[in-house]
Amino acid sequence: MLNKRLIGVVTVKNGWAVQSFGYRRYLPLGKPEVLVHNLDRWGADEILLQCTDRSHPSVGPDFELLRKVSDLGISTPLIYSGGIRGREDALKVVSFGADRVMIDALLKNAPADVEAVARVLGIQAVIANLPTKNAPEGMLLLDYHSGHEMPLAEAVKLLPLDWISEVMLTDWYHEGYSEAFCMSLLAASDLLRKPLICFGGISTSHQIRALLANDSVVAIGVGNSLNYKEHAIQALKKDLFGVAIRPPYYESSTL
Amino acid sequence: MSRKTIGIVDYGVGNHASVQRAFQALGHACRLSNEKDFLASVDVMVLPGVGAFPSAMQALHSLDMVDFIRDQASEGKAIIGLCLGMQLLAEISLEHESTKGLGLIPGTVQPLQYSACHIGWNALEVLHQDPLFMPCNRMSVYFNHSYVFEVPEIYRAARVSIDGYSYTAAVRKGNVCGLQFHPEKSQTVGKQLLNRLVEGLAHAK
Repeated sequence: MLNKRLIGVVTVKNGWAVQSFGYRRYLPLGKPEVLVHNLDRWGADEILLQCTDRSHPSVGPDFELLRKVSDLGISTPLIYSGGIRGREDALKVVSFGADRVMIDALLKNAPADVEAVARVLGIQAVIANLPTKNAPEGMLLLDYHSGHEMPLAEAVKLLPLDWISEVMLTDWYHEGYSEAFCMSLLAASDLLRKPLICFGGISTSHQIRALLANDSVVAIGVGNSLNYKEHAIQALKKDLFGVAIRPPYYESSTL
Repeated sequence: MSRKTIGIVDYGVGNHASVQRAFQALGHACRLSNEKDFLASVDVMVLPGVGAFPSAMQALHSLDMVDFIRDQASEGKAIIGLCLGMQLLAEISLEHESTKGLGLIPGTVQPLQYSACHIGWNALEVLHQDPLFMPCNRMSVYFNHSYVFEVPEIYRAARVSIDGYSYTAAVRKGNVCGLQFHPEKSQTVGKQLLNRLVEGLAHAK
């Protein structure tokens, strides 16, 4: 059986790691590389470094931050998100130490470029981030730039999902709040037909256990709540005994 | 542990930084290069990889590295292929189109059967009691791939089983070996395996 994954998420704005509340309000947490280093030491299954302010075409990915993270010599798989404008950016991000790239704006703005990224990196290295919200009229996909929302059922027809391996279903409205992820968003799996990473408002083992019980959910992203105690990943994993995830990792438990 | 020299083949496609940092953290001298004189002089040559097979082979051809790597292998050079780098050791790949590989280990790179991609941590099952791999038996390592290198059983050093399907996780033919997973991103288990491979293969040269 394939183990499911617990992903430590570090959100970055203006070069600083931040605690985000629905991507509307932010509290500073410190240097992103310090948080990444902690997640590496604590045995996260993957680390997602998401830079939220890099999507203007003149900005691009935060290579300086990637260099700092690379210099740490982390040995945990790294996913990078933020400002990837196409094939060349994606290749450079990987050469700086990322293992996978997460794409958001490019999905809508230049679907053909997503194919180009997948052709050079392999589909397994490409993840789509879909910021969604459940509303009375159905599930809505948010465009961060314009602030407009459109029905997910319509948006899916326009997205190049054949060229991505997994979808991160971000409950952006509840992101940053404790145990707030909207479980009804899981119905999106019928539309997307892709393995899902759930993120946004996920903080407790009880909630993670419930989400991972869904066959479509292959991974959980946890952000803010990991930053307030030492060894937070091991503690969460310990509470997830019996769930199909890699057991907590301690230096002494290896070879 | 003795300090070895490692040459990472720079063909423009790959996760060079992570691989280089991993070997340096283990205390080895490690450099990224596509200079044949340098690569011929190292104890261990590493083929890294994140990406698609056709682009990678095209890059190796454009750098005139294909025959060089084949010659080095036939002379007994220790070679380690990582992820895509392991698949490049194959005779042929069916990724996107049919593409000839380095042909250092018999077999074909094929699409995964159970799913479009294999992403995550899974336990290795080491085969043939290979002493370089045995300490990793039943240890979890990180996989991220959508194609798999199917080889004759004699060259399969380790496998991984998922939902009734069994896939090649590591290959070895003499001093040439390949790992489908990412040891450089498999925390302590991965680093210690890399160290054993470097020590074992360089010693056997």
